[in-house]
Amino acid sequence: MSADSDSTLGRSSAAFGMAAAITAIFNTLIACVKDAYHPLLNLMNAIAGHNWTTQGLADVILFVGLGLIFSKAGEVQGIRAERLILFLAVAVTLADAGLFAWYAVF
Amino acid sequence: MLGTVSAVWVFVETLNAREQNLRRIRNAALAVAIFMVAAWIFGGYWYLHFYPVEKAMILKGPWPFAHNLFMETKEHLFLTTLILSFYLPIAARDRLPSNAAARRMVLCVAALIALSGLAIEGSGAVIDHGVKVELLRPSETGAQK
Repeated sequence: MSADSDSTLGRSSAAFGMAAAITAIFNTLIACVKDAYHPLLNLMNAIAGHNWTTQGLADVILFVGLGLIFSKAGEVQGIRAERLILFLAVAVTLADAGLFAWYAVF
Repeated sequence: MLGTVSAVWVFVETLNAREQNLRRIRNAALAVAIFMVAAWIFGGYWYLHFYPVEKAMILKGPWPFAHNLFMETKEHLFLTTLILSFYLPIAARDRLPSNAAARRMVLCVAALIALSGLAIEGSGAVIDHGVKVELLRPSETGAQK
């Protein structure tokens, strides 16, 4: 490995990293809310034929949309790389553990 | 499974990131995204069209948690993994040989994809067994189903 000359994430990497973290949290929240609030489940079933399909498409649209917005704004790049990596790792871990806990309890 | 293996490939290559293997890292990261999209399309088609029969069997069998806990978690956890797999090729576009932060981000994302991929595979085994224990359960007449 060559000597490190840079320790900041690129604009797209930082922007879409933040978008991925937020989308992971959104994914878990929407899974819980649609389970608890059936009108939302019915709406999601109607949109794409099945609530899971709708949720997947919503996740992708949110990820791409937020990533593009953050890329254009450029503010996420100002966040320290280590903090962003930690935020992504914690967000994804909590989101995944939250899903398991939700379905284990309810 | 191919997406998970490719994520491990990205992880190992990134540990030794150099100019010589940068293209390979990026190609492997792209392979993760392609395999995960394929799993989304083909696995999703199977889930929507063929799984309901198995779901009904699981729910009336002795292991209803195979669906209520493991399948419900797996189907939603996969969507997070899918998003991470879309992100991996973007993160791998940074100058990995000279950028420690970019390397750590790629390592982190590849590890999350690999670990959640293993969790998804393990859940699949529990779900399969949920069907199996229902099929092996003696019926009311005493014969196996």
